[in-house]
Amino acid sequence: MEDINNLIMGLGVALQSYNIMIAVIGLVLGIIVGVLPGLGGANGVAILIPVVVSMPATTGVILLSSIYWGALYGGSITSILFNIPGEPWSVATTFDGYPMAKSGRAGKALVLAFLSHGAGAVLGVIMLTFFAPLIAEFALKFGPAEIFAVMILTFSAFVGLGGKSPLKTVASIFFGFTLAAVGMDIVSGQLRMTFGSVDLMGGFSFIVAVIGLFGLGEIFLTVEEGLKVEGIKAKVGLKDMREGLKEILQNPKAVIMGALIGCWMGLKPGGATPASFMAYGFCKQSCKNKDEFGKGASPGIIAPEAAAHGAGTSATLPMITLGIPGSPTMAVIMGGLMIFGLQPGPMLFKEHADFVWGLIASCWVGNFIGLFIVMAFAPLFAAILKIRFAIFMPIIVYVCAIGAYAVNNRMIDVYYMIIFGILGYLFKKLDYPLAPMVLALVLGDMAEQAMRQALIMGQGNPLIFFRPPIALPIMIVALIIFFWPLISTVKQKLMTKNAV
Amino acid sequence: MRKADIFIALLLMSVGILVLVDSVRLGFKWGMSGPESGFFPFYLGSGLIICSLTVLFNVMRKYRKGGGEERLMPEGALKPILWVLIPATVMIAVTGLVGLHVAAALYLAFYMRAVGKIGWVTTILISLIVPISLYIAFDKLFLVPLPQGLWGAKLIPF
Repeated sequence: MEDINNLIMGLGVALQSYNIMIAVIGLVLGIIVGVLPGLGGANGVAILIPVVVSMPATTGVILLSSIYWGALYGGSITSILFNIPGEPWSVATTFDGYPMAKSGRAGKALVLAFLSHGAGAVLGVIMLTFFAPLIAEFALKFGPAEIFAVMILTFSAFVGLGGKSPLKTVASIFFGFTLAAVGMDIVSGQLRMTFGSVDLMGGFSFIVAVIGLFGLGEIFLTVEEGLKVEGIKAKVGLKDMREGLKEILQNPKAVIMGALIGCWMGLKPGGATPASFMAYGFCKQSCKNKDEFGKGASPGIIAPEAAAHGAGTSATLPMITLGIPGSPTMAVIMGGLMIFGLQPGPMLFKEHADFVWGLIASCWVGNFIGLFIVMAFAPLFAAILKIRFAIFMPIIVYVCAIGAYAVNNRMIDVYYMIIFGILGYLFKKLDYPLAPMVLALVLGDMAEQAMRQALIMGQGNPLIFFRPPIALPIMIVALIIFFWPLISTVKQKLMTKNAV
Repeated sequence: MRKADIFIALLLMSVGILVLVDSVRLGFKWGMSGPESGFFPFYLGSGLIICSLTVLFNVMRKYRKGGGEERLMPEGALKPILWVLIPATVMIAVTGLVGLHVAAALYLAFYMRAVGKIGWVTTILISLIVPISLYIAFDKLFLVPLPQGLWGAKLIPF
């Protein structure tokens, strides 16, 4: 009941006309960012961080999170109409979305995708509203050892469940942490790894890294593929809406399955993309008309889209309750919070309740307004891709440069952005995952502080990280997940041996 | 693919070695007040070296076994990438002289005309309108000062 009261209070903040206007601007920008290849949610948010500083905290964070919701919606427009997934989590949507659009039902495919997004969002926000306070309350008991254990769990999830080469994942985590350690030591104030250079003293900003890795790196990948845009014309009419709504109601299983998988996977880092694939796979397995999948089956659009948005929404939960962002975009939003002097974590609920509930309420409001905007203007947003690539590509580079410079008002950051762009391209090509690296860069200082404090508490005994009752189970789960690739190969070998 | 793989592994390894050297300088043991400054980086550096060595080893073994020589990038992909990379770097270098917005206007015009083969009218219109509107949005409305360069203040007098 208390939560409902808090939510109503938060809605009072989120529904102020100024905040609604900001949310709409954020959503439109977010959809554009989601539609354009080479610009993603993480980038869009990173570029706008310097702008947001001049706003009140709640409004600023509403703008940043609205861009995120917009990008979630926008990704599905391109994947359905152009067969180009604007975001990695919309890849699964292309399987059935594009065939359906091709067969002349583009409007219906879009409506289905948007409504499923809405459904995923609702479940995610409900979870956020009711579970976030509980988790925050629980997390108040965490000491440095527990915080460090949670971080180990986070990074283990990337290694064990990421699906990429576990070795290269570990390497990119170490690399991210190393970059974070450059500059001033937060505990003793000594300069580290600067080798006498003034430029290195300031360290590496993760926002610059995000802009380089995801912005420029993505552009290099797009240029290399030689972008050919051939879209399907679509209009979303009333008939499409009626049909879409009917289909959704006819496929409650796909909706619920997708949204649940999404919300569950979203709690883990890097969850949205695997969630959309998992939801597609599960749905295909459990549906009667399996043969229609891949040819434009409605459940094949509904499940992955609901999962993607559910995961995107529920990723907010670990960010505001534990201070651990689940995705690069969330990491950048968290960076935004920190600029306002708001340290995400359990104390945020106690100290800045008005802010937290404003944010949660804006998730409700933002997602609903977003749904209306995409429904009404989807063809308009799709028209963006008709602009020649040679026109919007240099503009993206220009905007990225603005974003990188404005973080610290340093020219060297713009050069770093270029270097990160090249690194991002090579890392992508060679299967080094980028998301864990960015997260390590964001969490580096926090992780180190927690580790050192815990060690001081334990007088140098590393067993403190395994102290019961909270740290121990977290560490055990983390170790199991970390060694999961190894465990499963050993298991497979044993199985085949037995079979022989 | 193989060369790039080895290159990145060596790059990570050299970063690891640098970190290790510096953390030894700072002290990586247990100091007067708990772990010293180099404590955490010491383990990071070691981890980075171990990982990159293993990657290197795997790469060598894989390519010795079956060649497996895939290309890092498809045929002829390097050219368009360099066409993005080099002008962008030049833009940033020129920023120090004329400021970001003017440099970007030149960059936009160059890329659209030389690479995109877009008509003169569109090129000039876009490379004027975009920087001017971004200048107004960032420098004037949101008060985010962007680099002016040496002569920027004279080039944009308002």
